[in-house]
Amino acid sequence: MSDNFIFYLKIILQGLPDTLSLSIFGILSAGILAIVFSCLLSLNSKLLTKTIRIYIIIFTGSPLLVQLFLIYYGPSQFGEFLSKYPAFYDFISSPWFCAYIALTLNSAAYTTQIFYGALKSIPQGQWQACSALGMNKRQTLKILMPYALKRALSTYSNEVVFVVKGTALASMIPVMDLMGYSNALNGEYYDFSIFVVAGLIYLLINGILSTIMRIIEKTALTFEN
Amino acid sequence: MSDFFAHSMELLLPSIDGYILPLTKATAITLSLALVSLVVGMFFAFIFTILEAVPFKPVAWLMLLFNLTIRALPELLIVVAIYTGLPLLLMALDDGFTIPLTSITIKMNIENTQPAPFLCGVFALSLLYAVYASQTLRGAFKAISSGQKQAAQVLGLSKSRTFFRIIMPQMWRHALPGLSNQWLILLKDTALVSAIAIDDLMMQTKTIVARTNQPFLWYFIAMIIYLVISVFSQKVISRIEKRTTHFEPSVNSQ
Repeated sequence: MSDNFIFYLKIILQGLPDTLSLSIFGILSAGILAIVFSCLLSLNSKLLTKTIRIYIIIFTGSPLLVQLFLIYYGPSQFGEFLSKYPAFYDFISSPWFCAYIALTLNSAAYTTQIFYGALKSIPQGQWQACSALGMNKRQTLKILMPYALKRALSTYSNEVVFVVKGTALASMIPVMDLMGYSNALNGEYYDFSIFVVAGLIYLLINGILSTIMRIIEKTALTFEN
Repeated sequence: MSDFFAHSMELLLPSIDGYILPLTKATAITLSLALVSLVVGMFFAFIFTILEAVPFKPVAWLMLLFNLTIRALPELLIVVAIYTGLPLLLMALDDGFTIPLTSITIKMNIENTQPAPFLCGVFALSLLYAVYASQTLRGAFKAISSGQKQAAQVLGLSKSRTFFRIIMPQMWRHALPGLSNQWLILLKDTALVSAIAIDDLMMQTKTIVARTNQPFLWYFIAMIIYLVISVFSQKVISRIEKRTTHFEPSVNSQ
């Protein structure tokens, strides 16, 4: 039993780099994108706001799996055209890259909702104080954005866990992550303990991540009431 | 560039006719899967909430642990694990096994050890829904002030009557935003069951793509269908929310 366990663990752990890299890059780039989008939304430009709103509706309203398939399999419909640029075509059809793009766009949509919500919930007085000091929009955002981000942290930590869970979907386009190796093993041995092993690894990752988020939250909110 | 557009139009335009019927059927399967999971999930959620409120602490701790575990695991892993694990469990039950340290042997005669994928899908999705929904329900239950319960007691209402006629109608108002959010997530999670051989919208789209070789077009159509369902449910939900808060005095106006 424990021999099997270690045997499975060794094989599944080969997928750890893909899961971790997808999670970390996905979380970071989604966070940055979300901050940019929140800033753009707060500019109150009609066209920009509408575009970002439509983006958010599309990416929060449809399953991540569909987005993943669309990004990975979609371009091959235009294969004839794309094969004129082989380097570019190769680049956008690599599974890891597609999973990364899909995760980033999906998570950025949710995160924008969180960040912009926090930005809007800042009391009106703060905005007025900034404009009374003669600050322009950029300076105001520079002051208020960190404040809003701190407020959003507790909701944001849920989203971070969702990104890690989302990386498991990448195994459905052939990325060999933790889930990919578990599926391959299951096809061979048909044993439930494979999923127990994979589940424990995911639990560990998410546990560590939640703890890190809680520490960040604590340090960020030290001087808040 | 114009060459690119002309070419892509040529690829996109060929008739969609023959695929409307299978897609509609698949959408119906996705929707029924989501609705059945919602009903079963609400039932599970109530059980989880009650178990968490049991005075005997270890039960509550176990529930909390269970809750945290399920929430930390990827949805896909849960769906696939249930699909693999359920037949194994049924087979073990069919063979009969002895509980360690006791002499009790459990043996049942199960004729079909391979449950239908649809059932596995419902089980997985309702479990996922219930885990999150039970949190919402617990919060809603706590949001009702204990004065309501005391008032009902003073009026001589029985315990069950108090719960069903006084507490529960007020709970919905607090629970509705959370539950409806969970419903939207459930709707999107149904796409995962295509991994366990249910012929849902996602699976059907895959089949059509294999036949037509137009992945972009068909995955895009699938995305639009999911979007329409989500947006439509959001509209319905906001109407229901308006109705439930109709008699609430608005706090802001005072």
